[in-house]
Amino acid sequence: MIKNFFKIAWRNLIRNKGFSIINISGLAVGMASAVLILLWIQNEMAYDQFHANKDRIYEVWNKAEFSGKLNCWNTTPKILARTMERDLPEVEQAVRVDWGSDFLFSIGDKRLTVPGNIVDSNFLQVFSFPLLKGNPALVLKDMHSIVLTETLAKKLFGNEEPMGKIIKIDNKENFTVTGILKDIPNNTRFNFEYLVPWAYKRFLGDDDDNWGNNSTRTYVMLKPNATLASVAPKMKFFKEKYDKDEPNWEMFIYPMSKWRLYSSFTNGTEDGGGRITFVKLFGIIAAFILLIACINFMNLSTARSEKRAKEVGIRKVVGAQKGSLISQFIGESVLLAFLAGILAVGIVQLSLPGFNELTDKKLFIDYANPLFWLAGIGFVLFTGILAGSYPAFFLSSFQPVTVLKGTFKKAHALVTPRKVLVVLQFTFAIILIICTIIVKQQIDYAQDRETGYNKNNLAYHVFTGDIEKNYHLIKNELLSSGTASSVTETSAPLTQSWSDGWGQEWEGKDPNDKTDFRRFDADEDLTKTIGLQLVQGRDFDPKKYLTDSNAMMINESALKVFKFKNPLGQIIKDNGQEWHIVGVFKDFILESPYEPTKPMLVYGLNSHWYSVIQMKLNDKNTTAQNLKTAETIFKKYNPQYPFEYKFVDKEYAKKFEDEKRTGTLAGLFAGLTIFISCLGLFGLATYMAENRIKEIGVRKVLGASVAGIAALLSKDFLKLVFVSFVIAVPVSYWAMHTWLLDYPYRVTIEWWVFAMAGLLSILIAIITVSFQAIKAAVANPVRSLRSE
Amino acid sequence: MIKITELEKVYRTEEVETVALNKLSIEVKEGEFVAVMGPSGCGKSTLLNILGLLDDPDAGSFMFNGIEVAKFNERKRADLRKHNIGFVFQSFNLIDELTVFENVELPLIYTGMKAPDRKKRVEEVLDKVQIMHRRNHYPQQLSGGQQQRVAVARAVVNKPKLILADEPTGNLDSHNGNEVMELLTELNEQGTTIVMVTHSEHDSRYSHRIIRMLDGQSVTENILI
Repeated sequence: MIKNFFKIAWRNLIRNKGFSIINISGLAVGMASAVLILLWIQNEMAYDQFHANKDRIYEVWNKAEFSGKLNCWNTTPKILARTMERDLPEVEQAVRVDWGSDFLFSIGDKRLTVPGNIVDSNFLQVFSFPLLKGNPALVLKDMHSIVLTETLAKKLFGNEEPMGKIIKIDNKENFTVTGILKDIPNNTRFNFEYLVPWAYKRFLGDDDDNWGNNSTRTYVMLKPNATLASVAPKMKFFKEKYDKDEPNWEMFIYPMSKWRLYSSFTNGTEDGGGRITFVKLFGIIAAFILLIACINFMNLSTARSEKRAKEVGIRKVVGAQKGSLISQFIGESVLLAFLAGILAVGIVQLSLPGFNELTDKKLFIDYANPLFWLAGIGFVLFTGILAGSYPAFFLSSFQPVTVLKGTFKKAHALVTPRKVLVVLQFTFAIILIICTIIVKQQIDYAQDRETGYNKNNLAYHVFTGDIEKNYHLIKNELLSSGTASSVTETSAPLTQSWSDGWGQEWEGKDPNDKTDFRRFDADEDLTKTIGLQLVQGRDFDPKKYLTDSNAMMINESALKVFKFKNPLGQIIKDNGQEWHIVGVFKDFILESPYEPTKPMLVYGLNSHWYSVIQMKLNDKNTTAQNLKTAETIFKKYNPQYPFEYKFVDKEYAKKFEDEKRTGTLAGLFAGLTIFISCLGLFGLATYMAENRIKEIGVRKVLGASVAGIAALLSKDFLKLVFVSFVIAVPVSYWAMHTWLLDYPYRVTIEWWVFAMAGLLSILIAIITVSFQAIKAAVANPVRSLRSE
Repeated sequence: MIKITELEKVYRTEEVETVALNKLSIEVKEGEFVAVMGPSGCGKSTLLNILGLLDDPDAGSFMFNGIEVAKFNERKRADLRKHNIGFVFQSFNLIDELTVFENVELPLIYTGMKAPDRKKRVEEVLDKVQIMHRRNHYPQQLSGGQQQRVAVARAVVNKPKLILADEPTGNLDSHNGNEVMELLTELNEQGTTIVMVTHSEHDSRYSHRIIRMLDGQSVTENILI
C-alpha cells in the first residue's frame, strides 16, 4: 500500500511540474531559513556549555549605586580571588582573567602582535580547554611559561615542535612554550590565542591589593556540594568587610549558564533581557518562516483539490477508509518535504558563508554527527506532517457521490481557511517590511547625528613600545614632513570611554550629587587635531600659559551639572588635585550614538595618562602617501613594533554594526517571507484562473473586457492583502515602539512608513497575481465553454 | 439479496427541498440483472448510490444479504462495499496517474491481498476483458471502450456479489457499448447480480427486469424473461 502511495505521489509530482517546483522550492527556502536560524540559536545556547564543571562555575559581579541608579558589572579587585578562596569554604578555586593583553611576540626576526590573556595558573583546571600537549595543572606554574593554541603555534613555528621553544614578549622577557591548546571553540566568551600566568603581571608591577581598584574578571568554581544559596549571602557583604570606604557596595556570583544569554540588569535586578531576547525573537521568526512555507503547501494542495477529488472518490468507492487516505496524503507531503529537505541542505551549505559573515559566527553543519541526521529526519517529518495535515483531512473528507458525479465545484477558488492562511502570510511579510524600514531609519538617524568632531582623515595609534617615550620626536617629524597637519596625545581613542569617576568637588555642589563624569586626558592641540568645537574659552596652551598643566576643558553637559554662570576659571577638585576650567566645548559622541552624551572632563598635562597618539593627516596628500611616511617615522622611533594605525571614522562606524546586522537580518527575513508568500500566491492564482475558466468564458461572451476580468480576478487577492495590512500595522507599531525604547536617541515612527509598506505589498501582490489573471482573461472563451 | 422498503431521501439546500426517493420499495434477487430507467431527476442515481453504500437514506430500510445496513457508519459501509460491491461509471473514473494494471489492482490493495496473489488475479481479469496487452498504459492512452473495459475489470476484480453500473455505455459509441454490455451479461451469467441505471432502451434489453422510476417512486416493472 505504501508503495502504491509513493508511486502515485511521485507521478503526481512529475506530472504537475510547475506545482511541484513552487511547492518544493517554497518549502526548501523556508526550511533552509529555519535551519540557518536554528544553527544560530543552537550556537548561542551552547555558549560555554562544554566546560566539564559548567554547573559549578560562577563569575563575580558588583552591585552599587551611581547617579541614582543601581548598576551591575563584572570588573573586580585583583585581591578578590585569593580572598574568596581563603574566606569561603564553598569555593574550591578562584581564577582571575585579565581583560586581554595584546603582546608583541618576537621569535628571531619574526614579530607579531597576538591577542591573549593573563590568567591565574589554575585557569585550565577550572575551564575545560583541552591541552594537546602539557599538563593542565603544571603548564602555567612557572612565571616564564606560555601556552599557545594549535593554530598560533603553527603560525609561529610552522611544522617544528613548539614545546620548549622560546618567545620574547614585548621585547622584555623570554617565555618558554609549556603547553599546546586545542583551538578554542567559537562558542565561548573567551577569546585568546595564548595564556600567560598571572605571576608575570605581578612581575610587571601591575598587580595590587587595592580593594578600590576594580580591574579584572574573577571566576570561582564552587565545591561539588556547595550551593549558590549558601554563598550568595556571604558575597553580599564581602567587599564591605574589606573596603570600609564603600558601604552598600554588594557583590554576587553569577552562574555560567546565564553568562551569554542573560547578564542583563536593570537597576540592580536581572531584567530577563540580554541575548535571550534575540534567541527568542529569532526562534519566533524561524517558526513563522517555516509556518509560512507550510501554509503555501497547504494552500496549493487544497487549491488543487478538484484535481485530486476524483481520485479520492474512486479510492473510497473501491474500499479506501478515510484513515488510509489521510496517511496517503500525509505520506505525499512527507515525500515532498523530504525532497525539499535535501534541497534545503544544499541551500544552507551555499548560504552559510554569507550568513556567518552577517552574524559574525562560524556556524557549520556537522554531517558526522548522528544527532544531525536524527534532527534532520525529525525536522522533515515535522514539516511534512505540519504541511500535509490540513490538506489530508480536507481531501480525505470528500464524498465520493459528489466528486464522481462531477457536481463537485467550489463556487470560488478561495475558500475561507485558505483566505485565513494567505492573510497570515502577508501579515507577517508586511510586519517585516515595516520593521526593516524603521530599523534602517533608526540607523540612518543615529549615523546622521552630528559627532561633534571631524572624523575625516583622522587616524590614531595606540601606544606600543617606545611611542610614549618618543612622542615629541614622532609628533615633530609627522608635522615637519607634512604627513599630519596636527597631532596630539590622549588617554583613550575618541570612540571609547576608558575611564570615568565621581566624587569631584566644585563650588556650589549639591552634597548628594553622585554624577559620574567621563574622564579624558589630552595634550595641547586637541581642538585643532580632532576639530572640536569650542563654545567658550580656549584649548590647552602650556607654552603661553604656564598654569595650563592644571587646566581642564569640559563639555556642555558637564557645564549643566556644574551650573556655573561663568565657567572659565572655576576650580574643580579631583583626587586631591585642583583643575581650572579654560574651555567649554560642544558635546561630542564618545560612546553610543543612540544615547545622550555624558558629562565629560578633559584633564590637562598634569594628568598625562596618555595611551593614544591622534593624527590629523594632511589633506593635501593622498592617504596612501601619508600612511607610508607615517610608517617610516613610526618604524624609526619604535622599531620593535609593527605600525598598527586605525582610522577614527572606521572605528566610529563599528558602533552601528549590531543595528546594521539587525537591519540586514530583518530585511533578509522580510525578503524571504515575501518570496515564499508570492510563490504561494502565484500558485493560488494559477488554480483560481483554472477553476474560474468557465465563468470567465461566460463573462467574455456577455461582453466583459480583458481589463475588467483581470481586475475581477485580482480583486479577491488584493482584499486579502489589505486585511493583512490592517492587522500588520498595530502589531508592527507595537514591536518597533518597544524596540526603539531601548534607544534614548531615536526616530519617531511616521505614518508614511506604514503606507509605503502597504503599497509595496499590494504592488508585489498585483504583479504576482496579474500574470495569471491576464492570461485567463485573454483566453478564447469558445474553448473554455466547449469543454463543459 | 437487496430488499429496500419505504426508502426516503431528500436533498436540501438553503431554499429548495428536493425529494429524490419517495417511499421507494424494491427487491433484487441474487443472480438477477436489473435495469433502472426513468427521466433525469427521477432518483435513479440516488438509488444507485444508496445501493452502493455511498450515500445513506433519510428513512426506510435497506437489507443487504439479510442485514440492515441503512444506519451503518462510514467505516462499516466501506468495509461491506469493498468486499461485496463493484462499480462501473458512465465516465469510467479511472485514476489518471495509475496504469491499467494498477487501476485494476487498487481494490485488492485495500482488501489487503498479497502482491503475488494480486498480480495473478489482475492478470486473470485483464485477460477476461481482453485488455491484457495494454496493462502498462495509462488511461488517457486508451479509447473509451478500452477504458470502460478496464473499469469493468476493476469492478469485478474482487469477485463482488453485486455490480452497480451507472449508464455504463453513456460515453461510448454503439460498437464499444455493445461490447461492454456483453461483458456485463457474461458476468451475470457467471452469477454476479447486476443493477444498471440506463437511459438506453437498447441496453435495458440485456437485463432480466426493468424498473421504471418517476419522481422518486417505482412506477412499473417489466419482466423481460
